[in-house]
Amino acid sequence: MHALLEVKDVTKSYFENGKEFKVLDLVRFDLAERDFVCVVGPSGCGKSTLLRIIVGLDKPTSGAVLFEGEPIRADNPQVAMVFQSFALFPWLTVQQNVEIGLEAKGTPPEERHRIARKFIDAVGLTGFEDAFPRELSGGMKQRVGIARALAIEPLLLCMDEPFSSLDPLTAQNLRDEILQLWANPDLPPKAVLMVTHAIEEAVYLADRVIVLSSRPGRMIAELQIDLPRPRNRKEPEFYGWVDEIYSLIV
Amino acid sequence: MSNSGEGDGRTGGVTDFHPIAKVSVGQILGLVEAIDEVGGVADVATISQEVDMDLDRLGPVLGAAEFLGLMTVEEGDVRITDLSRKLLHANVRERKAIVRDIIDDVPVFRLITDMARKAGRPLSRQEIIEALSARVGSHQAEDLFKALVYWGRYVELVRYDSQSEQLTLRTPSK
Ligand SMILES: Nc1ncnc2c1ncn2[C@@H]1O[C@H](COP(=O)(O)OP(=O)(O)OP(=O)(O)O)[C@@H](O)[C@H]1O
Ligand SMILES: [Mg+2]
Repeated sequence: MHALLEVKDVTKSYFENGKEFKVLDLVRFDLAERDFVCVVGPSGCGKSTLLRIIVGLDKPTSGAVLFEGEPIRADNPQVAMVFQSFALFPWLTVQQNVEIGLEAKGTPPEERHRIARKFIDAVGLTGFEDAFPRELSGGMKQRVGIARALAIEPLLLCMDEPFSSLDPLTAQNLRDEILQLWANPDLPPKAVLMVTHAIEEAVYLADRVIVLSSRPGRMIAELQIDLPRPRNRKEPEFYGWVDEIYSLIV
Repeated sequence: MSNSGEGDGRTGGVTDFHPIAKVSVGQILGLVEAIDEVGGVADVATISQEVDMDLDRLGPVLGAAEFLGLMTVEEGDVRITDLSRKLLHANVRERKAIVRDIIDDVPVFRLITDMARKAGRPLSRQEIIEALSARVGSHQAEDLFKALVYWGRYVELVRYDSQSEQLTLRTPSK
């Protein structure tokens, strides 16, 4: 049995004028089904780079990423990504934006329509099918991003700072709705990997938190957050975890 | 609630959409969640600090939540209501239904949906703006129209095609 995802000693360097600029250093962890893992680390420590390598959009300088035991490929339909900037097509409606990943997968039109509807509904966007991104609030745009990612019914959902361009209230509401979706076993994905620089957010969401050092990102700790859900950010146990991670990074 | 219930006059009713015009559902729910986490009641300054938003940005969200009956503000203390608690424990679909019941009773929303029902055809953006302008002035009418479309879509009572600029009514799913 393979883990769903194996990140094996991933190191990444950029080279400029023959000089090495190391961004990631020997990052190693696994993801199994039903894992909700957050990677936290200071700004610029290589989180986005790591995520791009994990989904196959970028190559490690050394090390490997295996998905279900095989080297990851960028066109793997079992892996979906949600971006900080939403990455929606402004000239397409909500419905069309969600269908786009299914189109790439070769799903027939009627099927696309049905599946897109299902996930638009799951993220609370029914009613906005015909709206264009410019007619949506930031939170709703990100819901479209999430629906689009889920619509391909991926095993692994990757998210790069998905809440960091939203106002604090919208972000908190969306975190809770992500957890509602996650708690529904009938919906994809089987595992979530999210990167964030917000420690509180990681402790609020994750079963496991991976802490990276400042650049080059090295693994400082891997912590099992055993707090029951729903979590209350005001409780001392919650704060204990947040403080511990702060002290590890600083 | 700041919604002036008394009389329910046709002219008085129209501007009452104003409190929720520039606020999103997500912000209101986020605020309800934040206050719930600190025990269901807190003063405005504490909330502002908790959610890391200054009063200029928080004010409209508080006003909207109060208008919808989700919290009460008394002597600077904000308290979430039973309706808020119901909303907190509801799923996405149930939340829409709860908000739908509230929105559907707002006179200005009624005005437009009645207009569409009576017309028995799609309404153009232009004729809705005109109807609204007659009551709130053309300046406010645009904002009000946007808000009506936003909330109308959210509660699944309104369909709007921004390309043809036509508004129709819809039946909420399930
Ligand atoms: N294509 C590239 N060529 C050269 N350097 C790069 C490239 N991409 C990223 N970097 C550098 O690698 C480092 C890590 O970048 P990355 O975006 O992965 O960090 P991050 O942890 O996601 O940061 P943030 O918190 O700002 O999102 C940064 O110093 C960045 O400037
Ligand atoms: Mg980044």
